[in-house]
Amino acid sequence: MKSEARLGWMLVAPAIGVIALIAIFPLGWTVWESLHVHELRMPWLGKPFIGLDNYLEIARDPRFWGALGHTAFFTVVSISIELILGLFLALAMNRAFRGRGFVRAAVLVPWAIPTVVAALLWRFMFESEAGIANALLVDAGILHKPIVWFIQAATAWVPVILADVWKTTPFVALLLLAGLQNIDLTLYEAAAVDGANQWWQLRHVTLPLLKPAILVTLIFRTLDGFRVFDLIYVLTGGGPGTSTEPVALYTFNALLQNLRFGYGSALSVVIFAITFGLALLYMKGLGVNLGGDER
Amino acid sequence: MSHGRARTNDRAVAALAAAAMLLFAACQGESEKKQGSVLRFSGSALGAEGTLVARQLARFARLNPDVRVELQRTPDDATQRHQLYVQWLNAQAGSPDILQLDVVWTAEFAAAGWILPLNRFSPPIADFFPATVTANTWAGKLYALPWFADVGLLYRRTDLVPNEPTSLEALATEARAAMARPGGPHYGIVWQGARYEGLITTFSEYLGAFGGRILDERGQVVVNRPEAVRALTFMRDQLYGSRIAPLDVLTWHEEESRFAFQNGNAVFMRNWPYAVEQMSDSASSRVAGKFAVSPMPAAAGGHSTASLGGAQLAINAYSGSPAAAYRLIAYLTAPEQMIERAQGVGQYPTRSALYSDPRLRAVRAIPVDQAKRAIESATPRPVTPIYTEMSEILQIELHRALVRQAEPQEALNSAAKRIEALIERTGMRKLTTRAGS
Repeated sequence: MKSEARLGWMLVAPAIGVIALIAIFPLGWTVWESLHVHELRMPWLGKPFIGLDNYLEIARDPRFWGALGHTAFFTVVSISIELILGLFLALAMNRAFRGRGFVRAAVLVPWAIPTVVAALLWRFMFESEAGIANALLVDAGILHKPIVWFIQAATAWVPVILADVWKTTPFVALLLLAGLQNIDLTLYEAAAVDGANQWWQLRHVTLPLLKPAILVTLIFRTLDGFRVFDLIYVLTGGGPGTSTEPVALYTFNALLQNLRFGYGSALSVVIFAITFGLALLYMKGLGVNLGGDER
Repeated sequence: MSHGRARTNDRAVAALAAAAMLLFAACQGESEKKQGSVLRFSGSALGAEGTLVARQLARFARLNPDVRVELQRTPDDATQRHQLYVQWLNAQAGSPDILQLDVVWTAEFAAAGWILPLNRFSPPIADFFPATVTANTWAGKLYALPWFADVGLLYRRTDLVPNEPTSLEALATEARAAMARPGGPHYGIVWQGARYEGLITTFSEYLGAFGGRILDERGQVVVNRPEAVRALTFMRDQLYGSRIAPLDVLTWHEEESRFAFQNGNAVFMRNWPYAVEQMSDSASSRVAGKFAVSPMPAAAGGHSTASLGGAQLAINAYSGSPAAAYRLIAYLTAPEQMIERAQGVGQYPTRSALYSDPRLRAVRAIPVDQAKRAIESATPRPVTPIYTEMSEILQIELHRALVRQAEPQEALNSAAKRIEALIERTGMRKLTTRAGS
């Protein structure tokens, strides 16, 4: 038995080595960097060890807290909309109708477009006073005259959220559709026999059994949402001022624009800790075993 | 950081040409490597500019048989080139020997010890425009030679406003009058107001016009003084008070401003010299022959101010052959090469004497007298190693004030506070006293 265990360890050793090399080592390095002053543009500062000072600077930086707030806002709003729309789309696609295969493939088109390209498309639509968004809204009588979307926080969020919803709802729908197809149809028959109407079936059969799929979707999307970068980078650049700046953009700025490796690493560690914590929270809070063996 | 010059149409051709040139240079380098030292020159090498540089480098090599010159291509985008240089120099790479610096990088590279002071080569400092020398001087020493200058200009429609406005206030009045004429343009003035470096160049001109500064001679932060508040308030009034500037400018860079002006939609425009050539073509421009440039006017209490841009040449401190590198820099910044550059790609010489040269007067892209006056009224942006981060702080706070998230005084106070914290954090005070002593 013992030698078998040793053999087992030996067999997985290369895999563990690779994981250590590509996941644990960079993470450890980032943590180590985050405890130093390391500014590539200012070699006269040297590279002194400063303990947790970078983290203190983060805690005292209003721009960081602002960015965290923007990220949370973006994540909650866009995912809520995506989940609701995605569920409708999934329920619709789950029905039998002609051309179902085609529709299922077609809804994925927005998701297949690279984010940067999609973001540019949305920017063109909203950018100028003569843009299509202004034209449509003025024609429909919703706006009196064209507005400049990107100079007010409230209006700058509109294209950002819309672009994300447009792009990601199909992905959410597909994940949920996979969940729907795992539900045993006889449960609906039994519910119907018991006199449950469609709404009751949705609430008491579909949704509870869809929980694992919803959880997977939420984890994917929340982690994505928290790391949102390219969409906002292209659409608003974080402006006006810094009122749509997410943490990833702020970190990018510190790390790659200002080349503050120490501070930027500390920011990366903070983002990592937050997303990791969120993932744990989801798993606990929703009380689902991802493996699904218990069922 | 320089302003973006979109030459999208030429991009593909330019990239091909540059690639071919590189290949050519690489082959040459390979075959004759054994002959003496190799000097690597780096900088923008796209399109016509690249061809011109290659020609001048080849000529230098013929005149100096003891050195081989190679062109090392770096990204045309200033931010990317900056990042690449910083990575190389952190690794103490000796190549490229010669660096093309943006006007706001010299102090940073000098303070980091990445480029050599040029004083020991006794460069002809007096021949260059004083502002271009100031921009390249750190702790009393000259670290780079100005290669070509870029300068903020006020463009105006001569069919609507025949004479140069005498003051900023007069500019506003004339803009409003021209807008009110039947069929007059929608916009009185357009500038660069998006949250990027261009906003700082625009703001600096208003700031100087009102007599304000960002830092004073002793490096104290004075950007929240009354003059600065007046300048920012004046800009904001163009958007919300007199409404001569459209709110769109708050998302605009150079090219959006040019499109508006070129299509006949604006009375005035603040932009760099590159627009002259592009708007003089009557096939694509509705304002060809109907516009002129001048320096930005002053307001009460200040002086006419132009932002200074352009490129400088410096020697890599880790270079193996600094003397040869200086010879090449001296050659490229010599009068003949500057004239050739002006003729070829319309870039402004940095030597003041050349502005009376008839060959320069013959270049369509350069309105010589106005250009000279503008460069003479040019002020460098703060010459400090922490310019980039300082600029980022200002970009954010200025933009907040202009989109009305904050009042001008409040935004500038916040900027001043954060810049002071930046100076503290980066040990600038110690650094300047040490360098000054």
